[in-house]
Amino acid sequence: MATIDLSKQSITEANELIRACGERGEDVEVLNPDARHHIGVGLTKPITVRVRGSAGYFCGGLTDGPNFIIDSNAGWGLADNMYKGSVVVGGNAGAIAGVAIRGAEVVVKGNLGSRAGQVMKAGTLCCAGNANFMAGYMMYGGRVIILGNSGEKVGEDMTGGDIFVGGEIQSLGSDAQVVEPTADDLKGVREFLDKYGLKFSGTFKKIVNAGTKLRYKNAEPPRRNIPFFTFSGTSGYWNEKVQEDVYIKSQIGRYRIRGYGAARPLPHLSDLAFRTDLSQAGKDPDLLKKIRMRTKLGDKHGARPLDLSMPVMIAPMSFGALSRSAKLALAHASRMSGIAENTGEGGMMDAQREAADQLIFQCLAGRLGWNVHDMQRANGLEIYISQGAKPGLGGQLMAKKVTKELAAIRGIPAGIDLRSPSRHPDVLGADDLVIKVEEFREATGHRIPVSIKLGAGRVRDDIKIAMKDQFDYVELDGMQGSTGAAGAEVLEHVGIPTLAAIQEALDALAEIGATGQLPIVLMGGIKDGVDAAKALALGADAVAVGTSAIIAGGCIACMQCHIGNCVVGIATQDPEHEKRYNTPQEAVHIHHFLEAMRWQLAAITQALGYDDVHKLNRKDLVATTLEAAAITGLPYEPQYRDAALQLKAS
Amino acid sequence: MCGIAGIMYKKPGGGHTGRDLINMLDGCQHRGPDSTGFALYGDDHDGELLLRFMIDPKDGGKANIAAVKRVLTEFGATIREEEIEGQNFRVRAYFAGDLQKFAYALEHAATVVSIGSSLEIIKDIGGAHDVDDVYHVARHNGTHGLGHVRLATESDVKAEAAHPFWATGFSDVAIVHNGQITNYWKMRRRLERKGFEFRTDNDSELIAVYLAEKMSHGVPLKDALRDSIDDMDGTFSFLVSTKDEIGYAKDRLAVKPMVLYETDEMIAVASEEVSLNRLFPGKALNTMEPAPGTYNTWQRSTYPSNQ
Repeated sequence: MATIDLSKQSITEANELIRACGERGEDVEVLNPDARHHIGVGLTKPITVRVRGSAGYFCGGLTDGPNFIIDSNAGWGLADNMYKGSVVVGGNAGAIAGVAIRGAEVVVKGNLGSRAGQVMKAGTLCCAGNANFMAGYMMYGGRVIILGNSGEKVGEDMTGGDIFVGGEIQSLGSDAQVVEPTADDLKGVREFLDKYGLKFSGTFKKIVNAGTKLRYKNAEPPRRNIPFFTFSGTSGYWNEKVQEDVYIKSQIGRYRIRGYGAARPLPHLSDLAFRTDLSQAGKDPDLLKKIRMRTKLGDKHGARPLDLSMPVMIAPMSFGALSRSAKLALAHASRMSGIAENTGEGGMMDAQREAADQLIFQCLAGRLGWNVHDMQRANGLEIYISQGAKPGLGGQLMAKKVTKELAAIRGIPAGIDLRSPSRHPDVLGADDLVIKVEEFREATGHRIPVSIKLGAGRVRDDIKIAMKDQFDYVELDGMQGSTGAAGAEVLEHVGIPTLAAIQEALDALAEIGATGQLPIVLMGGIKDGVDAAKALALGADAVAVGTSAIIAGGCIACMQCHIGNCVVGIATQDPEHEKRYNTPQEAVHIHHFLEAMRWQLAAITQALGYDDVHKLNRKDLVATTLEAAAITGLPYEPQYRDAALQLKAS
Repeated sequence: MCGIAGIMYKKPGGGHTGRDLINMLDGCQHRGPDSTGFALYGDDHDGELLLRFMIDPKDGGKANIAAVKRVLTEFGATIREEEIEGQNFRVRAYFAGDLQKFAYALEHAATVVSIGSSLEIIKDIGGAHDVDDVYHVARHNGTHGLGHVRLATESDVKAEAAHPFWATGFSDVAIVHNGQITNYWKMRRRLERKGFEFRTDNDSELIAVYLAEKMSHGVPLKDALRDSIDDMDGTFSFLVSTKDEIGYAKDRLAVKPMVLYETDEMIAVASEEVSLNRLFPGKALNTMEPAPGTYNTWQRSTYPSNQ
């Protein structure tokens, strides 16, 4: 057995040693832990780690296989996202013990802190003492066994799984109910208690989901065929779209869900123009050879950066919202164009990993499909706080798309209207977030960049937090960003426009003396290379495209992504519909579009007299509307309006 | 956006408040790298007040100091001792009048850090050791104290915005707070209608004044804490201290962490156990995490007053 003394070694050194012991199959004893955070994070081998004292946050987090024994207490996030393996805690555990576990056995001999087992998918979390506030909060599956009292609101918004309470049920959470445990249930619980030497002579009450909130009660009637481009056009008050909206609400009595982004006029990059005459842009046949476009992102804290052939990425979109075929087309196209693809919510597919040279793995609040193995094979890790289309809300995936396969990947029951949690179990403030970021770095040996995705709301504060919490870069998503499904009101009316978002971000960095120190990837309605060039000139370091990449790959913009019957096979999980999607062909189309963006970026850069796309700057820009001038502080030069239009047509 | 710590020694004579709080805050500095502060309670100087002011470094504080002295004279306070320490002007003065009026007048002369007969607040930008280097926090021994590390988001990184906060106008009351009071303006207007003044837009100052106002009507600290859980909306874990007591309150949503460790000799509270362990390296502590919506107080040299 190897011994590691944390009074002599840093936690990063200790975790490297623990992983090396894992490779050798040697057990480890950790001395003087003194409640330090991140002990054993990222371990994927079945060794035993004995912690001689108390552990801090995320002990045993992001692991698969090991057995942890903690002699005394454990801090927040015990066994976070653990797959196989076990953790036994001699004392108490802090909040969110067993958060997002997917198979682990977690035993706490003392009491549990709040929200134990939040978003757990499988496995068992057992506590010999009392649980606290909202045990089993938003759990999707698995089993919680509480020998003492349940705490308030036990099973709050649980979707699946069972909670067994030996003591008093202090109060039931929303959508939870008490049922009789079956003989098999009790046998299983007994076996578990015997396995871990826990004695209990009382009787158990069982708590399960009551099934009142898993599906929307009334389905939306089919909408009329108003294409997005008509839908988003400027019009008077009582138009076709308003009439349809009133009608549908009269049928369903609730807010509506749709796909796509904000469909009302907002100040945007199209309200900016380049100051210089660009009519000669792009005439040089050797243009692409002359303009430097290569962009590295993510090495701010010593990680291996993304290495993009141009400052463009694919925006995060999930396998779930999109079909496997569409995701693969995006992955192939990203490789062909030398840029990065992003998993979005819901996990990483092997085929996607193979297809994309550079793949960012996105971590959302529900931890659906999140796991240490895919983290370790990703090129970037992204903590999603929110997105421009629906800041402050979680994803929505309607039942039709929650197939058995998809549910298995995400670790949730099939056939529910999945409303993903909007709030991370372990990110309730900047102070927790910094510990989460460090957990990701520990799990990946500090080798992979960690970024944060922000829907534009209180950008000023958020950017400062991102800077102080040591992210490598930020993905900033404005209100024009699209989604596979969101409440229509949120899509249209929540958040701030992309233009305002980037400006606030730049101002925030200037306010704390950090200009240029935190790369920003701007997204939310970036349509093409011209928009991208304007974003870069404003101060973004790169852009990401979602909607335009999807349209390039065959999307007809019907806004019915959420329904799951996508006629072109993009936003569907129905094999019959997906058959219509020709992945190799659409990958080439997306690639072509990305290459057109490259050419636009290069042509504008050259015409403005630079040899590097990153030399584009604010002096090159003017605002052609008062709103855009007020937002950006760029000079208001309305005479440039036509020039901007000509440029678009070129 | 921060980490908090508090300590009270139960044995007469107290302990190394400054040194212990520095260690605890250094242990959770990751929660707040921008500024660090201490509320330190020493011997009660009967009839005397300890006053600390922020001074403007541009003129070495000359203008601030002159303004403070004018108010002191105006209110008939006599200076017994004065010094400049870091960005602070520190005065020991005799004063026997209406403290609230006196304090408000002083606030108009310079930024008051703290006023008390046994309390001194020391806070500045930087980490626990940075602040100690300038203000010699480790030299402070006493009965009890609070500490805070801050990550600035909504307001600037400056010493005035650092915690602990003094309950403006009330002697010897200090607070450290982790979280956000969402009905801040409603609560503040309520107190302003009663004639209280606020020096900052910081919700922690609000909690301090809220509690001090109740105590000024003879409400025990413990009852004031109970009421605060009903009256304050938002997420919070805070610690409050008076000349003789420390206490905590925690919101009902259990969003902000807090861990307690109590022995016959001391009670120590911190955002994370790692801070408590700094006081007892190599030892596994029998700690407890207070339940959501709970509060408690401890008095100097006594056993817990709860339950």
